[in-house]
Amino acid sequence: MPFKDQVDYIRQHMKKNRMRVFMTVLAATMGCAFLIVLASVGFGLHKTIKEEMLSGQIITKIEMWGKEEGPITADDVKDLKKIKDVKAVVTRTYVDGIPTFQLGDREGSGQLLLTDADQEAKAGLELAEGTMPDKPNEVVVGYHFAKSLLTKEELAKLESGEQPEGYTGDVIGKTIQVDLKPYEPADAPSKSWEFVVTGIIKEPAKDWMSDNRMLISDSWKTEISSFLYPADEQQTDYSEVSVFANDIEKVKPISDHLKADGYQVYSITEEMETMNLFFTVLKAGLLFVGTIAVLIASIGIFNTMTMAVTERTREIGIMKAIGAKPKLIQKLFLMESAWIGVLGTVLAIAISYGLSSLVNWLIPEIVMGILAEDGMEDFNVTISLIPWQLVLIASAISIGVAMISGWRPARKATKIDVIRALRQEL
Amino acid sequence: MIEIQNLHHTFLIGKRGKEKPIPVLKGVTLSVEKGEIVSIVGKSGSGKSTLLHVLAGFMSPDSGSVRVAGKETANMNETDHAAFRLDHFGFIFQNFQLMPGLTAFENIELPLKLKGIPSAKRYLKVTELLKKVGLIDFADHYPNELSGGQQQRVSIARALVTDPPVILADEPTGSLDSETEQDILLLIQSLNQSLGLTFVIITHDEEVANIAHRKYRLHDGELVTGGVGHAV
Repeated sequence: MPFKDQVDYIRQHMKKNRMRVFMTVLAATMGCAFLIVLASVGFGLHKTIKEEMLSGQIITKIEMWGKEEGPITADDVKDLKKIKDVKAVVTRTYVDGIPTFQLGDREGSGQLLLTDADQEAKAGLELAEGTMPDKPNEVVVGYHFAKSLLTKEELAKLESGEQPEGYTGDVIGKTIQVDLKPYEPADAPSKSWEFVVTGIIKEPAKDWMSDNRMLISDSWKTEISSFLYPADEQQTDYSEVSVFANDIEKVKPISDHLKADGYQVYSITEEMETMNLFFTVLKAGLLFVGTIAVLIASIGIFNTMTMAVTERTREIGIMKAIGAKPKLIQKLFLMESAWIGVLGTVLAIAISYGLSSLVNWLIPEIVMGILAEDGMEDFNVTISLIPWQLVLIASAISIGVAMISGWRPARKATKIDVIRALRQEL
Repeated sequence: MIEIQNLHHTFLIGKRGKEKPIPVLKGVTLSVEKGEIVSIVGKSGSGKSTLLHVLAGFMSPDSGSVRVAGKETANMNETDHAAFRLDHFGFIFQNFQLMPGLTAFENIELPLKLKGIPSAKRYLKVTELLKKVGLIDFADHYPNELSGGQQQRVSIARALVTDPPVILADEPTGSLDSETEQDILLLIQSLNQSLGLTFVIITHDEEVANIAHRKYRLHDGELVTGGVGHAV
């Protein structure tokens, strides 16, 4: 029998029992929609938490905490740069003194750190404006650096609780005088250097963060260190060493390599692995619970198909008598149950996307409404997310379960005895 | 065309474990030539329907041989039997056995669909047969909108649609009044003469049996010659 005729046959029978088929499709839809929406919460929360973890973090970064035998040295850094798939090794040293930045009559405080501009650029340090430094007396500054340069009047304003404007002009190309003073003794003399600003670092991802740093070349390390410390206590180790991988996929192998070499390392991927495992288990659990709903709906399909076979016993008998093969009879019934499954799944997918959008819009609205008094301004979370993988899994479960529940009635149809079926009254 | 040899079949009747064997066919042997009408008469319970069911492949005999168009069919499996039926047999049943949800046209068309014939060819063949059985104006009628005689004509058209060499008829006029019965019998005779079709008719009605070239009588599971019909 050509496929088109098989489809026609099924359609004809489904039309005849429109109400019963509708109720069965409805049950299948509800089961499948429940499965998708439930699992989508797992996917949504996973996405939200992942984004939260990754916000402001560079995922290819491996933080180096030190080495088993002691601090990381300049020789170690050279070796680190040679490791396969390492894009950059950023070494930062926070200057252990009190720096004051001066621009004309303006003065500001912030963090002074020594770094290698080339490695910073390779690692992906992004500038809002300007260029990376080229010469030792050139620097880049934090996004809020200029705003932190205040006149005496502005400083008084700040002390009285008002928010001063700070320096609003273009800081690029300006020469900043840096006065550095050791912590101890209190009356220790300060030393001055002058640096030209070539670039401004991009604004931090988090609104509440303020970036007043000045990044100077680590070629100044010896000079600054010898000013701050006595000859026998020179600062040689780095405050921060980070290795950057070429690609997120390479983070794990590089981390493993570094651990094997005796380094103590941390990368976001390690935390992500634990979190991913947790959410994989959670999603599997939600899928399992959702599948139970689909299974309950499948009882409806089983019932409908059993009824269909019973009602059509005589018709099946006629078809078999005139030459329909048992396989064809089985196929027709399996196609019918699969069609119920497909119809239910398609409707469920459409409904689930609608529900998912509603939940993602409504719940933040409600939470904001409740928490607005507590000063919450932004509640931007994805509660429900339906990726194509979920659609695929749910469709496979739903259509598969529909076909399995139609299997027994279909088998029963093939076993119908022609003689008995033909004796049935109309 | 049909060779039945020493066919035996026994039904087991009663509760499980306490079944009673009822022999229905006791060594039936029958030969039907191509283009012949053969009728088998017998009282209710004589085994005539069982003989037809075995011949059609609706059931397997306990022993014996059934050869149709040179092919042994007695021990075929269900799938092979179905395919064989579609190619070699047309059926006319007492209560027509039409699909209630299909029109006259669609009922006649059904065996062609099972054979996978394209719709254009199906249309031509079904239209030709509707004309032949005089129901061209009733093509879109459902079985419950047709009289008994008309339904049996649809059933005959369905039996002919695949051009099978043999038509098996089980009480073909059992549900019809005497006037309609005559029409149907004339139609069977004319189809036999014009198309050279082989008919095996199972009936309890002597008048129906008389249209055959040869008559047989089934009595207590044994087949005996019942004489020559009017067709000769």
